[in-house]
Amino acid sequence: MKEAGKKGGRLLAGLLIVTAVALLPLYASPYTITTFIRIIYFGFLAMSVGLLVGQGGMISLTQTAFFGLTGYVVGLLGRERRLPFPVPELSGIAAVIVMATIFALVIMRTHKIVFLMITLALGQICWSFARQNTSLLHGWAGIRGIRPFPLVGIDFTQGSFFYWMSLALFLAGLLIMWRIVRSPFGLVLKGIRENPLRMRALGYPVYWVRVMVFVIAALYAGIGGILAVYATGIVTPTTMQLSRTIWILLVVILGGANYFWGPVVGTVIAVWLDVIISQVTPRYNTVIGVIFVAVVLLTPNGIMGLLDRTRHTFRAATARRRLEGGERE
Amino acid sequence: MRKRVLCLMACVMLFAGALSAAPNTINIGILSAFTGVFSSFGEMQKEGAVLALEEVNYSIAGKKLNVIYADDQLDNEQAVTKAKQLVEQDKIDILTGLVSGDEGLTVGDFMKDKKIPVVPMYSASEDMTMREWYPYIVRATWTGAQPMDPFGYWLAKVKGFKKIYMIGEDYSYPYNQGGGFKRGFFRGGGVEVKTVWHPVPTSDYSSIIASIPLDQGYDAVMYNGSGGDAVAFVKQFVELGMHKKITLIGQSNTFEKPDLDSMPKEIVGSYSAMLTTDDLSTPAWVKFRDAFAKRWGHNPSTASEFAYDSMRMILRAIAKLKGDVSDKAAIVKAMLSVDMSDSPRGPIKLGQYNAIIENVYIRQIALAKDGSMYNKGLFTVKNTSQFGPYDPTLYLSQPADGRAYPPETASALPAEMKQVSKEYQFVPFGQ
Repeated sequence: MKEAGKKGGRLLAGLLIVTAVALLPLYASPYTITTFIRIIYFGFLAMSVGLLVGQGGMISLTQTAFFGLTGYVVGLLGRERRLPFPVPELSGIAAVIVMATIFALVIMRTHKIVFLMITLALGQICWSFARQNTSLLHGWAGIRGIRPFPLVGIDFTQGSFFYWMSLALFLAGLLIMWRIVRSPFGLVLKGIRENPLRMRALGYPVYWVRVMVFVIAALYAGIGGILAVYATGIVTPTTMQLSRTIWILLVVILGGANYFWGPVVGTVIAVWLDVIISQVTPRYNTVIGVIFVAVVLLTPNGIMGLLDRTRHTFRAATARRRLEGGERE
Repeated sequence: MRKRVLCLMACVMLFAGALSAAPNTINIGILSAFTGVFSSFGEMQKEGAVLALEEVNYSIAGKKLNVIYADDQLDNEQAVTKAKQLVEQDKIDILTGLVSGDEGLTVGDFMKDKKIPVVPMYSASEDMTMREWYPYIVRATWTGAQPMDPFGYWLAKVKGFKKIYMIGEDYSYPYNQGGGFKRGFFRGGGVEVKTVWHPVPTSDYSSIIASIPLDQGYDAVMYNGSGGDAVAFVKQFVELGMHKKITLIGQSNTFEKPDLDSMPKEIVGSYSAMLTTDDLSTPAWVKFRDAFAKRWGHNPSTASEFAYDSMRMILRAIAKLKGDVSDKAAIVKAMLSVDMSDSPRGPIKLGQYNAIIENVYIRQIALAKDGSMYNKGLFTVKNTSQFGPYDPTLYLSQPADGRAYPPETASALPAEMKQVSKEYQFVPFGQ
């Protein structure tokens, strides 16, 4: 009975948040919308990293490459070849699936530190290629002038429509991620994270499960990349540079890598920190760095871990009080 | 309860920015790279702009000037995000700053439909005031090719150089510098400019320097790069003893102060061309230099002068409109019509595509009395435009400067690009 009440309360809170976020364009300033769009595209990237790090225990430094890959495909086909929707977008997704599969077949043969190094190397190769290829990808300059367009009578060049479309995609992405994590597949993944040898002994195709989860994660990064390229209008090698890769990893850890909501919470906080603190001081990178370090030191499970712990303490205190009250009676 | 207070605080923070735009202020956004690889240029820009703003005490025609600095870390995604912040949240009336070529093109592309004047200070990619130009862009400074076309022409015609070995940073600004150089050099009678590109940044140049072919009759090595790369290249060039075997010349930024102070003295005598030179002694320059040195404790660089001048042009335009900046097209019109003949670096005026016409100085590194190196003016080329001596239509019919264009040999350059009706006059410096 009580459990059902709590569930209902949570559902209500969730609905309230979704409504507040969905109605944002009606009451917030344009820049708030811009910032939320930014949260959404980096949110996709964070979910991608979160799935691998939190659910699969694999720290991958390649995810920004997929984020940039779809951007480049959309820029090359949509902007330069003028192909109609949805050809560039679907080609981008297809490119991500192909590249992620090839990468996964190689890197899933490795574990731990070797895994980290190989994903780092692959990410850096993609970045260097984009930076040095001047004939197709225009090197440093990248591809400019990518714009949203009207579709089925809706003018996505307007910030609020673009926002609603991104938000709908994001909610769908969250829902699908929720189903994946809660599915038997998600349980197998957690099992592999905890003990791959035992899972193999139990007869699970550990290698293929890891390949599949890598491709799924890459897809999330890729979708984020498409939204990012339309929101910013450009794609350049900086999209996939190492500092961005490290940043998104920190964002996931800040939110709490082991929690489903960790990457999302991390992105919301990190992006707003960036916006607010950079207005106050030119040394904002230092301030944000210190905050990151402090959070990681104080709560190794990130902000979600902190919330979880507070709730436990609170609940324990309530229980104790009730117990004491009972004794008095 | 506490949660509610937190929520309230967050909301206040969210909307504080939107509310800060008071009716009696003019908002000027300075978007530049204040951190990252080019932070020194960003800082120099800021010093120049602040000097101009302090001269008018941050107010014009009864309006307060509110300056908002935004740092893009030379990351293009950040540049667009920060530009959005300036436009949507800070409600800027004018956007200025911009230090690097690609940064300028990126922000220019984003600002295209915003109808807000964009005044690039140091960003030199010529397409901002050529192929990708729109009427809200006003550039009172330079393009990459502008000082290099006369430089190349002078080296070939006057110094008689025939073959140059060019080592350059692989991005748009050095392409544009190299492009201007090649056009001028081939027009003046040069035969070949062999080009090698390296990624930015590079710290070890030993293999690049070792592969300079000393036996193929090159007259000089030109280093087409700037900042930390230039300091590292020049140091290693001297360490490997190359300065004894072949002449070193540079692009416009290579020997700029303060980088020049970190370079070895063996490069005294090297040529370059820029829009300022360290021994300018016109009253306008001396006045600016002394005011700058008094405020910041060191001499101004070209980047500071550009920022100072651009900001003065903006301020004069606002004064001309008596502080009414509601009509953005009128700001552009006012900027084009204000008198800038008292610019510290020499008279400047705006021409076609809202681009600048100004003096180019051919310079040579010399030793000052205190033993430090400086760029000594040799010749002045007056009234140089971004199209050099070419007809704009002819110039724009050519491809944009890149790795493949202009070609490496004079024979491969289209014939119509090798003759012009009116060539440069090299006036001895100081006349």
